[in-house]
Amino acid sequence: MIADHIMFTGVNVLLAWSVYVILLSGSVSFANGAFMAIGGYGAGVLTTKFGLPLVAGIPIAALGTAAFGMIIGLPALRTRGIYLILVTTGIAFCVKNAIEAIPYVGGVRGMRGLVGAEPWHVWVVAGVVGLLLWLLSRTPLQRILDAVREDELVARSLGINTVYVKVIAFGTGAALAAVAGGLYAHYMYVINPEHFGILVSVYVVLYVILGGVNNLWGPPLGAAVMTLLPELIRGLQAWRPIVFGVVIVILLLVRPEGLLPFRSPTARAKEARRG
Amino acid sequence: MAETVLGFDGVSKRFGGIHALSALSFEVRAGEILGVIGPNGAGKSVMINVASGVYAADEGRIVHRGRDITRLNAHQRGRAGIARTFQNIRLFKRMTVLENVLVADKTHTVRPFGSLLSFGRRREEIAAALAELDRMRLADKADQLAGTLAYGDARRLEIARALAGKPSVLFLDEPAAGMNERETEELLADIRACRSRLDAIVVVEHDMALLRVLSDRLVAMNYGQLLAEGTPDIVLAHPEVVSAYLGTQDG
Repeated sequence: MIADHIMFTGVNVLLAWSVYVILLSGSVSFANGAFMAIGGYGAGVLTTKFGLPLVAGIPIAALGTAAFGMIIGLPALRTRGIYLILVTTGIAFCVKNAIEAIPYVGGVRGMRGLVGAEPWHVWVVAGVVGLLLWLLSRTPLQRILDAVREDELVARSLGINTVYVKVIAFGTGAALAAVAGGLYAHYMYVINPEHFGILVSVYVVLYVILGGVNNLWGPPLGAAVMTLLPELIRGLQAWRPIVFGVVIVILLLVRPEGLLPFRSPTARAKEARRG
Repeated sequence: MAETVLGFDGVSKRFGGIHALSALSFEVRAGEILGVIGPNGAGKSVMINVASGVYAADEGRIVHRGRDITRLNAHQRGRAGIARTFQNIRLFKRMTVLENVLVADKTHTVRPFGSLLSFGRRREEIAAALAELDRMRLADKADQLAGTLAYGDARRLEIARALAGKPSVLFLDEPAAGMNERETEELLADIRACRSRLDAIVVVEHDMALLRVLSDRLVAMNYGQLLAEGTPDIVLAHPEVVSAYLGTQDG
């Protein structure tokens, strides 16, 4: 039971970062549940049907998901705001329905026999991802991403290929979600399309918004709080979803920029001057 | 005659039935400050947007230093050396003043992911950005968020950012709009100070007095067409230019 919480919190931290990476370039994705599914099922096929070890299956599935993400990202990222939300939501529905229609991966009944992932695996991966994102935040690439997010037209006029930057960010986010999905699947033993429904995608975006969208540590904080909070209020039984919802609304009202705020101007200035 | 840096050759741009630019031809010559005048709706901003690749031309050619750039998109024009500012100042408001200039460094705009593999040269980049700010009298504001700058400072930061990419031609879209007389005077000095670092500067304005003192040559536009091109005295005395501004030939 404790192991489950540690595992699912870690998976959700990875998923939150997968959305954060896409948000860095100014796009929002409601398709990360779908990328998680492709990663989970892809790695599952590789381990159960082709006998590959998990350490090979997950990276291959992640690369495949990144390619898929970039191919659909290329046309999808031409849209913005509410339209991009609709497009990525559509992707989430399509992927789930497609998996249900493929007998090879078990259709609606799901896929079984997935083993090998332990909670500590997820946290090692999360640690590495966190470290990489922290290093990224100290490179000029972070500034390029900030510029693309703040004003795409100006970024282009400065010579930045904004489509390329956004597509790479989208593919990276898809790959991260796929890694989370692969680990999740091989912890669960059995997965079915319901595990990767549209609500998963919505929840992950919620983690990020609640944690704070412009701070590397906000998304994992949001993910941890949102994963563990329902357990902490377990005693409320039937009232649980309502209290959970009310807490979310209050948080958004009290801290609209998330639990962790934007990087302070002084911190920004100091970082910018670091040679 | 000086060499042509940028040439518009019969460029047209339509939005539905509206002819925003109609067979517009003019040239920007090496070393000059070219002023572009015209009443509101003359197509001056559309001309900048077509030059910088925000809009694709429907007809005609745009040639930059002998290279046809008509088909290049916005970021390719930026890399080719076409820089610009915006009529309604567009800064990265949540980034610091210094960051606004740093982000325009060609090393990173051209290869955005290159910085993941190299960790050198940062100090030089910062020194170059600070020098750029110094030239626009903004060095003491380097650590402020760009969104907190006063109007005149914001205008100059936009120019500093455009210059940080070491462009060939700089388009300024109504740089003196909203400025008082003293600020305008200072801006003129700043623009003149940076001309030696560029192949040419194109200044779009509807303040004729300002362009008369700043420009080497003038282009007058109306209804998306060229009215006159030449020295300020000739262009501003041109009957069609006079009537476009005063509304009547006899005025």
